[in-house]
Amino acid sequence: MRAAALIAGFGFAAATGIAAAATQEVLAEPPSNLIVTVYRAPYRDSGSIDLDELNGFALVTETRIVRLPTGVSRVRFEGVADGIEPSSALITGLPGKVVEKNRDARLLSPSALVASAVGKRVELLRTDRKTGTSQRVPGTILSDAGGGVVFKTAAGIEALRCSGMPETFGFEPAANLSARPTLSVEVRTPSAVTRQVTLSYLARGFDWAADYTATLSQDGKHVDLGAWVTLANSNGVGFPGAHVQVVAGKLNRENDEVEPIDVGGPILAQCWPLGSTSDQPMFLREESRSRMFMKSVAAPAPAAMGVLQEIVVTGANKVQQEQLGDLKLYRVPERTTLASRQSKQVRLMDQSGIPVTTIYGLDLDDDADSTGPAHRWVRTKNTVANHLGLPLPSGSVAVFGPYNGEQLLQHESELRDVAVDEEVEIDLGESPDVQVSGEVEETHIDSAHAKVLPLVPGVSLRSVKVDNVQRVEVSNARAAGIDFELRLRIPEGARVVRTDHPLGTKNGRPIFRFKVPANQTVAVRFQTQGIGDGILRTP
Amino acid sequence: MRLPLISMACSAWLLATAAWSADRTLSVTIYNNDLALVQDRRDIEVKDGRQRIEFQDVSAQIRPETVSLSAPDISIVEQNFDFDLLTPAKLMEKAVGQEVTIVRVNPATGAETREQAQVLATNGGVVLKIGQRIEVLRDDGLPVRVIFNKVPDNLRARPTLSVSVIGTHAGTRHATLSYLTPGLGWKADYVALYNEGDGKIDVQGWVTLTNSSGTTYDNAQTLLVAGSPGQVDGGAANNYRPPPRRSTLQVPGTQSGNRERLGDYYLYPLAERTTIANLQTKQVSFLDVHGVPAEHGYEFRNRWLGTAEMPVSAQSIYSFSTSAHAGLGDQLPAGILRFYMKDKRGDPQFIGESRIDHTPMGSTLSLATGDAFDVKVHAVVEKRTRISTFDWQTDMRYDVTNALPRAVVVKVRQDGLWGDSSVKTESQKSTRLSAEAAEWNVNVPANGKATVTATFETRY
Repeated sequence: MRAAALIAGFGFAAATGIAAAATQEVLAEPPSNLIVTVYRAPYRDSGSIDLDELNGFALVTETRIVRLPTGVSRVRFEGVADGIEPSSALITGLPGKVVEKNRDARLLSPSALVASAVGKRVELLRTDRKTGTSQRVPGTILSDAGGGVVFKTAAGIEALRCSGMPETFGFEPAANLSARPTLSVEVRTPSAVTRQVTLSYLARGFDWAADYTATLSQDGKHVDLGAWVTLANSNGVGFPGAHVQVVAGKLNRENDEVEPIDVGGPILAQCWPLGSTSDQPMFLREESRSRMFMKSVAAPAPAAMGVLQEIVVTGANKVQQEQLGDLKLYRVPERTTLASRQSKQVRLMDQSGIPVTTIYGLDLDDDADSTGPAHRWVRTKNTVANHLGLPLPSGSVAVFGPYNGEQLLQHESELRDVAVDEEVEIDLGESPDVQVSGEVEETHIDSAHAKVLPLVPGVSLRSVKVDNVQRVEVSNARAAGIDFELRLRIPEGARVVRTDHPLGTKNGRPIFRFKVPANQTVAVRFQTQGIGDGILRTP
Repeated sequence: MRLPLISMACSAWLLATAAWSADRTLSVTIYNNDLALVQDRRDIEVKDGRQRIEFQDVSAQIRPETVSLSAPDISIVEQNFDFDLLTPAKLMEKAVGQEVTIVRVNPATGAETREQAQVLATNGGVVLKIGQRIEVLRDDGLPVRVIFNKVPDNLRARPTLSVSVIGTHAGTRHATLSYLTPGLGWKADYVALYNEGDGKIDVQGWVTLTNSSGTTYDNAQTLLVAGSPGQVDGGAANNYRPPPRRSTLQVPGTQSGNRERLGDYYLYPLAERTTIANLQTKQVSFLDVHGVPAEHGYEFRNRWLGTAEMPVSAQSIYSFSTSAHAGLGDQLPAGILRFYMKDKRGDPQFIGESRIDHTPMGSTLSLATGDAFDVKVHAVVEKRTRISTFDWQTDMRYDVTNALPRAVVVKVRQDGLWGDSSVKTESQKSTRLSAEAAEWNVNVPANGKATVTATFETRY
């Protein structure tokens, strides 16, 4: 391939009249002044990150020194993140005209070496196991198709490593293969110059989330909310001494395929069938061989390898928040190193003494089968008066409660993005002491019975069918009274027409708010009016 | 015909039956829908009479049915596309019944003994006939080299195109080989830097070319066509239809640019010859415009007359024009536009992206970059009543909240107004965008809240 390229290169030079000094290879210096901005996985609304599957991305900006000679040169930026989206790469600061920029996906690997040597002269190296003497035979690789290697020497045509003797090739240096992911730019400069160049690109294999800890006070009326920003890099490339920031909010990302990186594989040197007279049946051999083949071919890309090596936690400095368009940007105050396959935590906030109300409740579905233990929530409003008033980026919440002077884990739940002034609800999990049971008391209403339940204010019933009477009982085995919220999920258009408890609405749904005294049971009865033939049932 | 990519390099290994000279002009025309036309012009040596010409450095994914070779004073007998690949196993299999040389190596002394052998079978193991003896190759595990005399005719390192021709006289001909191949594609990538201070954007456009065809195209003259010519699919019909997306084109443009065209497609020729290496992503700049006015706004869509469980973020929208006047001044080939904005320290940060279709000059584009953290809308069905058998009334409430320290305008849009729907009463005047959608421009004060209510009457 290289020979062909050279011929073509000469043809080009002759055709356009440029001196034979063609493109010069220039290696940019290693990056300095790194800036890494991590964005979370666009389709995760809440919850923490999964180190095995980092679906977020990052904007990486780096500065490099480039020394350009006169003429056309190819500037190579080695060691960009393996998850680079090459089409997002931007290079500023280059003098002259940028002819084109390229990302070569093929990395230097044994199989890539063989592939690029097909049709070229190589040296076959055979070593005698007994004496250790090596024999060098010049030859040509004819084929590397199907995982086997066929080559030609003066003696004739042979296959690699089928003879049972140690055999390998000595290759000529392959100029077009890089050891690390590389971006290159072709640039034409009128005179030699040294420049500082800024390269920025988006790369996959990053993610971050906010991890909150909510600590309940002894009386359950206050919460201390602390949070970490947890960010992680699953790329094979690290970012030493970088300005690191994370961005909260959901960005629009087009589901574009990223051109894969060919990380190559070993030289397989598959042979002809090598069964002997004492072998197991052939189909077993075939199976095990194909499995072996799969295994060696499916060597995971560096970015996909889930094992993160290191987890670093720092807490002295909090991140600083600023507005970025309609997003929130959190800046890690000091330069830090975001190493390859590392997760890192930086303090997001520490807010104490947040007043909360504790609510028990249940979402009751139409079919009344959704009964069981109630959930407990703590609720507050995200305001300065409540010692909050900060944007709360989505993430996970671990709730701790006091016991014997210690804080023990009570529940883990998820939190969506919460803006200032919005209501914040943290789920504390199921509460077996508060059980909700429901049943349909009647499906047909006679007029005598219908009068049992008072009409909901504002409802006037004409001769419209009333579905049924439902009774929901809430039992409280706790030694203290509780506030309970029963949220009804009835079809849109259906409504509660008669009830023996005051009816409210929340988020567009009917809700009963009542107290259940200690060790007591409260029953709520209500009747709904259906939506008739159900035309307006929403999907 | 698509072939699996066995390996990823182009081959210069020539089994030349007719030699190609180095004087070669390659032109590659790439369309948007994974299709490229490759035209390969070069001088070929043709002998008198019938002969076979091989082309090894064609695309590994070549569609052989689209190949055409034209050269003066030859007539084509047949075209073949061989995809039987040269592997050790195939080599042995094709040697069944033939003589090979085996070289036994004495493990103690290293001494070599040569023998002639006939290959009898390769089922599971290789059975050889040496003289009058039958032997299984390397049954004892000792080293034995097998040397073949030649490579069978139709085994190739790479899929190879060959054309049998009859030459009327010997000599050099100027020949053109052209074919279609998938595996080459291009799209546009745009970078827009939004300046919050003066509401202007700087836009750079790049064409991004990708080559996964398995072959490198050296020093090719490259032409990009902004269009997707119809293709007759040989396989099963593709019935997949992606879900409808938010339309980005608000006003289609009516201006003409001075770019070259092919039929109704715009052409983007690359200024210089370039080498399109296999598995390479290549970008070439085609647009660089500064200081185009852009508007930033918010948009929320309620898909049907329904209740949302929770407040939903409004979309952050940027809109600008592509007209020659106060716009980008160019037609835009389809691609992805990425928005950046400078943070407090002056570093550009990514704030979201949006796909655009082929856009004529003079259009108005409105692109969503993502959810606004601080601007949310909660749509609630307050009441739904049946007025008569086919007549319903729905009371909607939209609570718009703004946690930003400045006032914003949010376009609240109610979609899904099926049937004969009308707005009976509303708290502020709406615009009826179509039979199916109504929209309100809601002013929300800084750190404040606004509510719109409306009553819809729907008849089926």
